[in-house]
Amino acid sequence: MASISTTIKSEFERVRNSDVWRTIFRSGSGSSNLHRSQAVQQNIFLHLFSVKVRTRALDFSPTWYLGALTLSTFFILIATGILLMFYYHPSVPQAYADMKDLQFAVASGVFLRNLHRWSAHAMVFLVFAHMFKVFYRGAYRPPRQFNWVIGVFLLLITLLLSYTGYLLPWDQLAYWAVTVGSNIAKAVPLVGKQIRFLMLGGNEVNANALLRFYVLHCVILPLTAILLVGVHFWRIRKDGGLHVPEKKS
Amino acid sequence: MSDVKTQVAGNPLAGAIPDDNECSDCGRRDLLAKLGVGSLIVAAAGAGLFAYEFFSPNVLFEAPPIVKAGKPDQFPANSVTLDPQSGIYLINGSKGFYALGAICTHLGCLTAWKPDLDLIACPCHGSRFNREGIKVAGPAPQPLPWMKVWLSDDGYLMVDRSTTLKAPEYVKV
Amino acid sequence: MSDTPKMQAEVQSDVRKNPRRIAFILRRTSPHVKTQDEGRVMTYPTALTRFIITLEVAFVLLVWISLLANAPLEGIADPMHTPNPAKAPWYFLGLQELLHYFPPVVAGVLIPGLVVGALIVIPYFNINIEGESLWARDRQRRLMVLSAVLILFCLFLVFFDVIVALVPTLVVGGIMLWSSRFSHESPSRFQRWLSLKPLSFWIMTWFLVELTVLTVVGTFFRGPGWAWVLPWRS
Repeated sequence: MASISTTIKSEFERVRNSDVWRTIFRSGSGSSNLHRSQAVQQNIFLHLFSVKVRTRALDFSPTWYLGALTLSTFFILIATGILLMFYYHPSVPQAYADMKDLQFAVASGVFLRNLHRWSAHAMVFLVFAHMFKVFYRGAYRPPRQFNWVIGVFLLLITLLLSYTGYLLPWDQLAYWAVTVGSNIAKAVPLVGKQIRFLMLGGNEVNANALLRFYVLHCVILPLTAILLVGVHFWRIRKDGGLHVPEKKS
Repeated sequence: MSDVKTQVAGNPLAGAIPDDNECSDCGRRDLLAKLGVGSLIVAAAGAGLFAYEFFSPNVLFEAPPIVKAGKPDQFPANSVTLDPQSGIYLINGSKGFYALGAICTHLGCLTAWKPDLDLIACPCHGSRFNREGIKVAGPAPQPLPWMKVWLSDDGYLMVDRSTTLKAPEYVKV
Repeated sequence: MSDTPKMQAEVQSDVRKNPRRIAFILRRTSPHVKTQDEGRVMTYPTALTRFIITLEVAFVLLVWISLLANAPLEGIADPMHTPNPAKAPWYFLGLQELLHYFPPVVAGVLIPGLVVGALIVIPYFNINIEGESLWARDRQRRLMVLSAVLILFCLFLVFFDVIVALVPTLVVGGIMLWSSRFSHESPSRFQRWLSLKPLSFWIMTWFLVELTVLTVVGTFFRGPGWAWVLPWRS
C-alpha cells in the first residue's frame, strides 16, 4: 500500500518536473518558500494576492471567513447558473415551461435550480454580513477606504443580480416583485418614466423586460462583478493585507 | 544640532518636466489638445444618445389603449366592474358611466373592488380608494386616473386608457 | 536636547541631485524601528487550503439545503391577478415596508440613495482613526445635540406613523444616551465597552437594527393588504 502511494507521489513529482508542466507552472516542484512564492506570483489568478499573509489574518475571529464564504457562493452561482442556461429560453411563456421542465423532466434540474436559488439568498445575506463585519472591525479605515467603496458597489451589484434573476422563472412571485420594483424606478424625479421604459423595454413587464433582465443577469452584471471582485482582492494586497486589529499590549 | 535644513519644495516634480515657457509652439499644442478633448466629449455625448435610442424600442407589442368595455346594459346601476384584462373599472354611478384605471398609482399592482367595504383596495401596500378613485387610506400618491369614456356608434361603451381626464366626466345613456 | 526630534523628514525637490535621501537621523539612535510584525505564513499552500476548505463547507451546506428544500415556484405570471400580499424578495422587504409609509419617491429613491451615499462616504467622512469615544470630549454639548436630534427624528417618525422604525430608533438611541453615564471606571464590563464606542458605531448599529427589524416585519408579520398578521397564525 505504501509503495503504491510512493509510486504515485514520485510519478506526480516526475510530471511536475517535466518540460511541458514547467511551461504551464514555471515554479515546478519543490516546497521551499521561494517555490511557494513563485507559485503565487506566476499564476494569473493567485498573483492578485500577496505571497505571505499574517498568521492572525487566517484566524476565525477577525473575519469569520465571510469574504471567503461570499466568494464560495459566487463560484457556486456561476457554475449552477451556466448549467441552468442550457435549459432556459428567455421568452414568454416558454420561460415558465422551462421551469417546469427543470422540475420534472431534466435530470437533477430541480436540484440545480434549488442550489442556484439558495446560494443566491446566501450570497445576499453573506455580503451584508461581510459589510457589517468589516465595519465593526474598523477595516474600512485608511488605507483601505477605496476597497470599502468597491465593496459597496459589489453589494449593489449583488442586489441587482438577485433582482434581475428573480424575474427569470416568470411566475407570479417574479412578475409582481418586478412590477413593484420597476414602479419604484418610476418614482425618480423628472426621468423616472424614461428609466422604467428603458429598464423594461416597454410600458409593462413583458417579453422585452424578460429578455433585458436575462442579458443583464447572465452577461453584464456577472462580468462587472468578476471584474470588481478582482480589483477588490488586488486592493487587499495593495493596502497591506487583511486588516487585523492591533495586539493589546 | 540641526545642521540640515528641511527643504520643502512647492512642486516636487519641478525640474523633471520641461518648463512651459520653454516650448515654442504652446498655442498650437494647446489648441490641438482642446480640439482632441472636445471631440471626445462630443463623441461621448453622441454615444450616450445612440445608446438611449438603441435601448428604447420603437415598436411595442402591447395591448392597444382603446378598449371596448361592453354594452351599457351589462352594467347594473350603482355597480363597479373590474375588467382585469385591460386594467380598468367601469362604473355605473348615479351621474352616469365613467371609467377608472385599476392599476394602483403607488407601485402598479392591480387593485380589486371590495363590495362589502364599498372601496377599491390594493393588495400590495394597503392603499384604498373610494368609487370616485380618491384615496382614503394607504401610501398611494395620487387618485386612480379617470379615463375617457364614450359611446360608439354601434352602442358599445369605449374607454381610451391613454387619455386621463382632469375633471370628472360622465356618460349618460 | 530631549525635545528635538529623533529624525527629520525631508522632501527633496530635485530628484536628479538627491535621488534617495528621505530622512536624516539627527540623534545618535539606532535606526531600528519598533514593529509588531508577527508571524506570517505562505499564501500557497496555507491560505489557499483554508479557502478551499471554506468553499467545501459552503458547498456541502448549500447542497444539503438544496436537497431538502425546493425553491418556490408559483403559477405562471398573470398580469390580471395580483397575489395578496405581493411581496418582493426578502432582502427588499425592508424597503417595501418603508413603501407602505412613505411616497415612492421618498422610500424608493431618496432613502436608498441616502443609504448608499452614506455607506460610500463612511471611510472619508471625519475619520476617527483612534476610535475615540463619543463622550470623550464636550460631553454636555454632545448629549444635548444628540438628544435634540433624536427627539426631532422620533417626532418625524411619529408624524408619518412609522411605529416599526420608531421602536429600534428609541432603543438604540436610548442606549446611546444611556452610555454617556458610563466611563472606563464603570463596574460592569458591558458598560465599559459601551462607553468606548464612537458615534459611527451608534449610527451603523442603528442602521443594522433598523434593517433587521424592517426586513423581519415585512417578511413574517405582513399579510393580505399589508396588514399585520402573526406568522404562527396563518
